[in-house]
Amino acid sequence: MNSPGRGENGDLEDLIRLAGRGDREAFKTIVSLHQQQVFLLAYSLLRNRDDAMDIVQETFLRLYQKLGEYQMGKSFCGWLLQIAKNLSIDFYRRHYSRDREARTDGSLEELARARSKEDAGMTPSSDVSRAISRSLEKLGERQRMVFIMKHYNGFDYREIAEVLAVRPGTVKSLHFKAVRNLRRLLGPQLGMET
Amino acid sequence: MSRCRQIRNDLVAFLSDELEERRAERVRTHLKACPLCRRELDLHREILRRAETSNPELDQILASVDWEAQAEKIVREVWRDRPLPGLSRRGMGRSFFLRQWKPALAGGLLGMALGALATLFLFRESPKTTAKAGEFFASAEFLDRADFEIARREALAYLEKSQDLLIELAQPAREAGESRLSEAAARQARELLSRKKFLNPQLEGIRMAKAKDICDQIELLFYELFELSDGLTDDRRQEIQNFIEQKSLLLKIKLLRKELQESET
Repeated sequence: MNSPGRGENGDLEDLIRLAGRGDREAFKTIVSLHQQQVFLLAYSLLRNRDDAMDIVQETFLRLYQKLGEYQMGKSFCGWLLQIAKNLSIDFYRRHYSRDREARTDGSLEELARARSKEDAGMTPSSDVSRAISRSLEKLGERQRMVFIMKHYNGFDYREIAEVLAVRPGTVKSLHFKAVRNLRRLLGPQLGMET
Repeated sequence: MSRCRQIRNDLVAFLSDELEERRAERVRTHLKACPLCRRELDLHREILRRAETSNPELDQILASVDWEAQAEKIVREVWRDRPLPGLSRRGMGRSFFLRQWKPALAGGLLGMALGALATLFLFRESPKTTAKAGEFFASAEFLDRADFEIARREALAYLEKSQDLLIELAQPAREAGESRLSEAAARQARELLSRKKFLNPQLEGIRMAKAKDICDQIELLFYELFELSDGLTDDRRQEIQNFIEQKSLLLKIKLLRKELQESET
């Protein structure tokens, strides 16, 4: 995946300063560098491509309005994804039905049963990768976000903790639970013991 | 077994290099001695490997977007609606009062207040100096300087003409019968007496006191000449010459002229 990586250096801060002064190209560079990360986070929460794209656009609009509030030296990516996360959650609460929200907050078994019903009319897939995608969707909201940010965005626990506004110890615990639950969900398909 | 439970809680962080070194070392030590936890580690590793390397759905979605065009679209939208570069309206207001601007802001406000007070004070103290529309206004200092300059120039002209006449008077008679004052000299003496009357008010200032004293002595002499112009004897001429010499009139005139020339404003 095209990721700018975790290192945030003076170049990025220069871009932020220029964008803050109205430099269009500098702002566009920031967008180009981070839009996929924002998309991945939004998609991990909303699981809908078009909704995630809307969140990406809204996130950068908010970013531009808040550039003057960014504190140099702090994690820009963490700050940006925090904006994206809050917008995604607001979007989810406004647009998604109550039952889906209930399912997201429910147990993994309930989620699995609900997903099985949804998948009943679909062609069964033996593709392990597809199974992993499905399993990720069945994780709880915070577990899924932690897993996506850790393994697809390449964030460390400290950065994820900034985005989620929790302690790194909580991130570690959520990560552990996410992997454990993925193993339970995927174990049979992968021929693993659970 | 409780030891194994603690270790297994750390295994995912251990695989992700997120465990602090002391705990990572404890996990490594335990794994050497515990085949069950090693098996658990292998299963976690396999899940993570598959999840990280195989997510074609996400890859397909990411590949389906023209990210360059998307970035341009986002920037176009932002630029169309942007409030001000880099600052939200709320942020802009706050940034004006950022800590680093507070001293400058306080200084500016203090300066404005002092300026307003000074202006009020000046206008109250000198209301008559304010020119009304269509009227000429000049300060008292400017008018004093102008008066002095006029007096200086007039005094210089008077002294120059007087000096010429006195030099002529100071010359000894070259022939007998030449003791009468020439017509031109007499006319010049009359003009200088008239000029002195015009000059008197201009010599009233303290800066022209010395010039007035000398000009008065010259005037007195010219009065004598005017009265005696018809019958200026050699003796009388000699008396006048003695007067000029005694009073060092020519020297005084010379020095005064130099002084007045140097005091040009």
